Amino acid sequence: MLIKLAWRNLWRNKLRTSIILGAMVFGLTGVIAMMGFMTGFVDSMISNAIRWQTSHIQIHEQKYVTNSDISDQIPNGQTLAESIRALDDVTAVSARFIAQGMIASARSNRGVQINGIDLVNEAKITPLSSHITQGEWLDNTGRNPILVSEKMAERLKLRIGSKVVLTFTDVEGEVAGAAYRVRGMFATPSTSFDEGKVFVRKSDLQHTASMHGVHEIAILVSDVDKISLVEEEIKALLDFASNSSQLSIRDWQRIQPMLATMMSTMDVSNQVILVIFVVAMMFGIINIMLMSVFERTQEFGVLMAVGMQKHKIFSLIMFETTLLGVTGASLGIFVSIALVTLMNSVGISLASMSEGFGAYGVDTLLRPRVSAREYSMIFTTVFVASVLAAIYPARQILKQRPVEAMAEKS
Amino acid sequence: MTIKLSQLCKTYNQETDFPVHAVQDVNLIIEQGEFVAVMGPSGSGKTTLLNLIGGIDTPSSGSVYIDDCDICQLSEKALIAFRRDHIGFIFQDYSLLPVLTALENVEFVMQLQGHSDAECKRRALALLEQVGLSEQKDKTPSKMSGGQQQRVAVARALAPSPRFVMADEPTANLDAKSTSELLDIMQSLNEREGTTFIFSTHDPRVIKRAKRVIVFEDGKLKQDSRVEQPRVKESKESLVE
Repeated sequence: MLIKLAWRNLWRNKLRTSIILGAMVFGLTGVIAMMGFMTGFVDSMISNAIRWQTSHIQIHEQKYVTNSDISDQIPNGQTLAESIRALDDVTAVSARFIAQGMIASARSNRGVQINGIDLVNEAKITPLSSHITQGEWLDNTGRNPILVSEKMAERLKLRIGSKVVLTFTDVEGEVAGAAYRVRGMFATPSTSFDEGKVFVRKSDLQHTASMHGVHEIAILVSDVDKISLVEEEIKALLDFASNSSQLSIRDWQRIQPMLATMMSTMDVSNQVILVIFVVAMMFGIINIMLMSVFERTQEFGVLMAVGMQKHKIFSLIMFETTLLGVTGASLGIFVSIALVTLMNSVGISLASMSEGFGAYGVDTLLRPRVSAREYSMIFTTVFVASVLAAIYPARQILKQRPVEAMAEKS
Repeated sequence: MTIKLSQLCKTYNQETDFPVHAVQDVNLIIEQGEFVAVMGPSGSGKTTLLNLIGGIDTPSSGSVYIDDCDICQLSEKALIAFRRDHIGFIFQDYSLLPVLTALENVEFVMQLQGHSDAECKRRALALLEQVGLSEQKDKTPSKMSGGQQQRVAVARALAPSPRFVMADEPTANLDAKSTSELLDIMQSLNEREGTTFIFSTHDPRVIKRAKRVIVFEDGKLKQDSRVEQPRVKESKESLVE
């Protein structure tokens, strides 16, 4: 009976209840869309970082991590890569030969990271092969082909077929170099990636450096939850090969700690936004409930007179406020789910800000996302806020004695 | 159930220079089954007296005994439970819950007592039948006339099977026909079921029906007279006049 009475009381003043519900729905939708936008932003950064740069796990020689010297190679790297590829939860492995050097065209030159890649395996690790905008992906034909980004091609005034010279310091400390010819151009969501990396066949670079072996093994696993498991399996492999102490095995969060921090910071900032909204909403509910309760003071006096215990009157007001909060939260979340789902499937085009977002490695088509956990957190927060908002108006009424309450004019 | 008032006083603004003595030194005994009218001019203390007897106000001094139980000494919780189980209230402005139907308004008080839904409904329907409103049971107060609302209020007051009913100017907002019908109902219940009715009024039509008339003036009991024979009902025609 109390819940029925509370629900009907809530709709006594339809306009007032509709206005506060409208405010809640509008505010919640805005907050949830904002949270979805931020989550989508960070998702995009992390996803692109994993796809293009870090993979899930990378293995390096210990010293190479702090100082990328060409001599710090992974002992038996190629064999290790083959062993890792055989692990159950590993989906792709690529072993890279990397040199820090210069690329020079007839017009200009720039510092770059020269990546010697295994053509088949690299295509499984990064989406580079599907992001060729001009020319074609590397193959085993021709002498010293190279892939450069559109940006670098623009700066060095290159086109398909142009000749460039790659130079770097070899293991002897001497300058090594060779001429390469542009086979293809790529464009990725990351400006730093585009400006800092070129790709050649691993065998060509090893030949230029007069070295064998690899500097980096990049690994993708089937499920992000299995990263730790695969790490342990790799360590076991390395222990078996007795060279674990020489190597650094890092997951993407340790390779890019800033991203991991951003991910946790985003959770906090989402919660701060939610709390700000909920506190504002609480004041709105308190205001509405105070109005609603005070204009019914006489009625509460009558209820006390006919024998309604104060805890039941308290419960009645709590039910009214809670029903208001639950209705507002449910409608708000329902509208938000529809909006976020739509935005997620269509995507929000940020093409006009692509330069700026490229610096963060973010796609220009953003897909907002809000998890079920976040929806339940939002619902719970609004529910708790509604319950808290009921306490003050309810206490104000309970302070009254029946005869005083009945004397109040509505 | 006997009501006994002993040295009952109620003073408002007691701490100020202008105290208002609403009820002064009242001693009174009301026996079970009486049909009592408390009359007097506005501000004479009728409503305050009813509030004190009904336990919705506390006296400044003195006691209200109901069957030897001083209700002024009860805790707030116990007093609310006492009112719920033993006293029915009828108010001048009906004071029905506007969001509930006539049936639900009557059921509500019984639900507070913890009766089952089926029991509440059965008794509420019977009471609405008694007050002639079974056809109106699903209407909300806003869709009923003043007389109909007051009859629902009577049914609500009787729902918890109270030993006595307090009615504060129950006919003040009613026309002659509705007043007559309401008094018929109250008188019938008083005679058939022995329910004590105490009502404040300055309506001569109500006073004519009372078995006992208590006159109040300036908070003091001025006259307490009993009528030996029940009054003869006035004809509807004369009431309309």
